[in-house]
Amino acid sequence: MRVLLVEDDRMIGDSLRSALRGEGHAVDWVRDAQAAHGSLATEHFDLVLLDLGLPDGDGLPVLRALRARRDATPVIVLTARDAKGDRVAGLDAGADDYLVKPFEYDELAARMRAVARRHGGRAETVMQCGAVTLDPATRQVTRDGQPVLLSAREFAVLEALMQRPGALLSRAQLEDKLYGWGDAVESNAVSVYVHQLRRKLGADFIGTVRGVGYYVGRPGGGTP
Amino acid sequence: MNSLRTRLLVWLLALLLLAAAVFGWASYTSVLAETEALFDYQLRQMALSLRDQGEIAPDQAGALADEQFDFVVQIWTEDGRSIYASRPHPELPARALLGFADVRVGDLTWRTFSVATRARVIQVAQPQPVRRRLAAATALRSVAPLLMVAPLLALLGGWVVARALRPLRRLALDVRARDAQSLAPLRADALPDEVAPLVAALNALLALLGGALDAQRAFVADAAHELRSPLTALKLQLKLLRQAGSDEAARGAAVEQLTQGVDRAARLVEQLLVLARAEPGAALTTEPLDLAELARQALAELLPLASARGSDLSLHAEGAVPLHGDRAGLTALVRNLADNALRYSPPGARVELRVGVEQGAPWLQVDDAGPGIAAAERDKVFSRFVRGAAHDEPGSGLGLAIVRSVAQRHGATVALADSPLGGLRVTVRWPSTAPRP
Repeated sequence: MRVLLVEDDRMIGDSLRSALRGEGHAVDWVRDAQAAHGSLATEHFDLVLLDLGLPDGDGLPVLRALRARRDATPVIVLTARDAKGDRVAGLDAGADDYLVKPFEYDELAARMRAVARRHGGRAETVMQCGAVTLDPATRQVTRDGQPVLLSAREFAVLEALMQRPGALLSRAQLEDKLYGWGDAVESNAVSVYVHQLRRKLGADFIGTVRGVGYYVGRPGGGTP
Repeated sequence: MNSLRTRLLVWLLALLLLAAAVFGWASYTSVLAETEALFDYQLRQMALSLRDQGEIAPDQAGALADEQFDFVVQIWTEDGRSIYASRPHPELPARALLGFADVRVGDLTWRTFSVATRARVIQVAQPQPVRRRLAAATALRSVAPLLMVAPLLALLGGWVVARALRPLRRLALDVRARDAQSLAPLRADALPDEVAPLVAALNALLALLGGALDAQRAFVADAAHELRSPLTALKLQLKLLRQAGSDEAARGAAVEQLTQGVDRAARLVEQLLVLARAEPGAALTTEPLDLAELARQALAELLPLASARGSDLSLHAEGAVPLHGDRAGLTALVRNLADNALRYSPPGARVELRVGVEQGAPWLQVDDAGPGIAAAERDKVFSRFVRGAAHDEPGSGLGLAIVRSVAQRHGATVALADSPLGGLRVTVRWPSTAPRP
């Protein structure tokens, strides 16, 4: 997933970014409301983690502006404000979830998965496509019931493809989910990961539309 | 006897009884004097009529025998032979003194009147106690109504007192109904003038307590809020440490981050404690100090930070700067100012401290080459947990709040200005310590 992290505290931002990267997410980190506005206006993210107390103002206007543009990007508010009124205001401003600091990383990760699931319109927690299953919570992938070992980035590519079976994802879109700003993007890295996934899951598991992108399942929707 | 009501009642009754006693005594003595004169007149009349009459008529003898007045009439011939006695009273002397006389026989005093004719001596006598008894009875009758209304008066007094004390009782109920949370002022309407000042004083105290309590609540709430960030960082850093597993490089980095996180949390807690001690209301112990020496010691503690940043930290003092104050608080003040100056200046920049005395008034000045504080922001930065714009220094947001608190407790002023070094100049001025001329 490509995540925008809006957090002014250096230590929290640093650690959170490292932890999220460790799970294969691409993380872009901004430290004030203005930068958050700019990033959200120009780029696409799968999820936003939004702190409310920012040095140049409150985080809620950022959220309201996003929703005013009819942008449905999932947003989880992370804040030290624990009053009921604050939580209600946060959710009513358009947040998908509200987490009070200090939180456990595991809980944040679970909430991120839940928000992504809802956003993708899925009810089941384990994604399935043909003989392949992917469990975002345990980060386990099986083929014909046998566990398959994937690297964090291979997992991220597969997760992005399996979220909407049949949908085409371009190389650039996949790169977006793997790399934040400042990450060195290796050329044809996506092709390399797709190659590895085909080797591990079957050559015809991931289809290619030359010049357009990759898909799993039947192009246009549904599982094979 | 601590009840105001009982006390008032007892005193009221005592005064009532005293009044009855005085009244009774006065009427007793006046009645006694009157009856004396009356009875004397009666004695005399009786004796004179007996003399003029010569004989005692039977109806007169009856009156003479009246037990109530206890008259005794004796008649002697001139040679001393008793020829008549209304009742034989052997105690009475056989001889009579002419005119009025008090004759004491045994333990009984008699009032006598004697008159002599050619042939005989007539004496009429009456015991004194009879007179006193009659006087006392009259006196008692005059006091009786007073004694009879006394219980009624006591009852009435009790009611009046209870009624007058009702505002006090209501006040007590009002106070008793409170808990530690309700510090709203007490109702001051319809209170008697004697109680109103007490309620006003209580309300003033309640307001003071409420203010102190609010300040403490705000402080605790702020502190709890501010502790969330370091704790969040710590939790995430622990997560990273676990995530690192056997990867040595990742473990080392995670441990390094965790150490910084713990240091930050510890520093915040330490600053909170310093601030709590510097808050108004905390005990303040003052002693004679040398501000120059104190600044030297505070700077010595900051040398590691200064050298780590390659900053040039210097102190300019032309001599001792005598100051009477709280050592711990003033050390925290100097350290926080110097620490801020170091952290917010670019690495390698100069930070200059100056101390001195001007007309007996000590002052301290800290200059840095940091970004400074915009004039419009200068009032805000003294509030708790207000940090300047985003920067990489994990400040607690308490440094200037501590400086202000300590300064206020010493009667000192803190002024922010632009520094010739390019950053912020903080000047602290204490009141003059020189003896007044």
